[in-house]
Amino acid sequence: MEPQVRMADLQRSSAPAFWVALKKNRVAYAFVLPALIVVGIVIIYPLLEVVITSFQRYNLLEVLTKGSSYIGMSNYVEILKDPEFWHSLWITTIFTAACVSLTIGAGLAIALLLNLEFPGYKVLSVAILLPWVMPRVASSILWKWIYDDQFGILNYLLSLLGVEDMSTFAWLAHSSSALWAVIIVVVWQSFPFIAVTLLAALQSISIEIYEAAKIDGASPWQRLRFITLPLLRNILGVLTVISTIWDFKAFDQMWVMTEGGPAGGTMILGIHTWMNAFAYLRMGRASALAVIMLLLVSAVTLIYLKLFNRGEE
Amino acid sequence: MAKVRLIKRNVPALLLIYLAAAIVFLVSVFPFFWMLSTSLKLPEDTFTSIPKLIPPQFTLENYRRAFNDTLLSRYFLNSIYVASVVTLACIILSAFAAYGFSRFRFPGRKFGLMFILCIQMLPSVVVIIPLFIVMRNFGLLNNHASLLVSYPTFTLPLCVWMLKGFFDGIPRELEEVALIDGCSIASAFFRVILPITLPGIAASGIYAFIGAWNEFLFAMTFLNSNQLYTMPVGLNAFFGQFTVEWNQLMAASVFFTIPSLVFFMLVRKYLAQGMVAGAIKG
Repeated sequence: MEPQVRMADLQRSSAPAFWVALKKNRVAYAFVLPALIVVGIVIIYPLLEVVITSFQRYNLLEVLTKGSSYIGMSNYVEILKDPEFWHSLWITTIFTAACVSLTIGAGLAIALLLNLEFPGYKVLSVAILLPWVMPRVASSILWKWIYDDQFGILNYLLSLLGVEDMSTFAWLAHSSSALWAVIIVVVWQSFPFIAVTLLAALQSISIEIYEAAKIDGASPWQRLRFITLPLLRNILGVLTVISTIWDFKAFDQMWVMTEGGPAGGTMILGIHTWMNAFAYLRMGRASALAVIMLLLVSAVTLIYLKLFNRGEE
Repeated sequence: MAKVRLIKRNVPALLLIYLAAAIVFLVSVFPFFWMLSTSLKLPEDTFTSIPKLIPPQFTLENYRRAFNDTLLSRYFLNSIYVASVVTLACIILSAFAAYGFSRFRFPGRKFGLMFILCIQMLPSVVVIIPLFIVMRNFGLLNNHASLLVSYPTFTLPLCVWMLKGFFDGIPRELEEVALIDGCSIASAFFRVILPITLPGIAASGIYAFIGAWNEFLFAMTFLNSNQLYTMPVGLNAFFGQFTVEWNQLMAASVFFTIPSLVFFMLVRKYLAQGMVAGAIKG
């Protein structure tokens, strides 16, 4: 028979000795632990393993015959000396910065537009979800078709606008344009989430504030600048950090559309790491790259947690 | 309402608004329309110097060939299988965990919640290298089990946070009454709380399904036999096999998008309260 546990007892727990706490809160832990254990095993173990492997010479082909051996910081030293790594870091920075600023900018503009609640805004608010709904690989394939040099609709539309010399331009075959072509696809898929979130935040701002400002003679621009944006500051901060992490992680669109090419022009860190691991089979080196990525993401995540916890209080 | 009245008096402003709205609408919808249009076109109407927006002659031939000449239906079944199993496991684990986090205060609660939140931030590339080695040691490479094990890492966190939001919204008095009536906590959970939260559970389950349905990187890395490919990997492999048959590829992409589209529209009304409020706190 299960003993009668009162809800109030469970909520009022300080933190004494570990076992006492465990026993006292066993019902709570019984609910929470299965999920934590599953995620913990599948996440914590690999994270430890990736750190260990990063200090090893671990070649996927040699490991069965020769095994792996500790080589200290060599992987890291080699990475820091490798111009390809610095190039990749640079590409990743441009990619992430461009994606985040364009996504937030477009998302904010569209949220403000929808917030005007003009007749028909509901149709538009559903329509903008379409890019978000589309699986990343499907949209990458679709945009590859749109960008096609000979029969792509983009070049045709540009020629209608009078940009004649673009009529057979292969957007994904030049390292200068390929990066921006992929950035546009990523922004196209991520602005809806930002717009929907910001719209929800905008609609929670009480209309009285605006009316008071209007009576005081504030112009629409002043109302945006001095009421709306300051009130959105927290959520904009959180969204910027989240987008930074998401875009830093982006992989699928890049892989399907360019595989990091042409000539490394879209070689973001994710693809650089993956190639080291699964194309060149240098697991040790790739693990060190993964640890570097992990450190970069952790730094951004710390900022996120700070913002998040501020919102919680 | 005040806003609309203001706009209605100002015709140039209204025109400007509709111009902007039209641009946003086209940018959002046109690529999808173009995918649909290409998938319903004959090849001779596709590769023309002036693109034809609407197929002069509608055909389902591309869909038929995508199914008959390729392994598309195989990929589809593989994806359904993987996504369904992951969703089921995810719903069970996250419903318990979310309830625990929502209702109890215990040492480690805050840490647990933050831990789950942080997992969402991990790039897949970081964990995929050691996971690959583990899968290889356990002989799980080229086996759907490798995906079933690794997908919960990104579906669970979202589900836990979403469901916690739903549980938070249910007044505590409900269980307290049940407990006074002599229910155990477990039976209060199963008989009182779960039935009320079913819409929330369905919504988070659908998010898990869409996440697993879309996943590409793990599947591409862990699977190498055509027979086992899931939809995204299978579709991407179309590029390597033949000269690119855009009509067929668009038909396959439409087919790949539709389940995601249908499910997404089902849970659309939970967007604001679930994903947004749960994962971000507006």
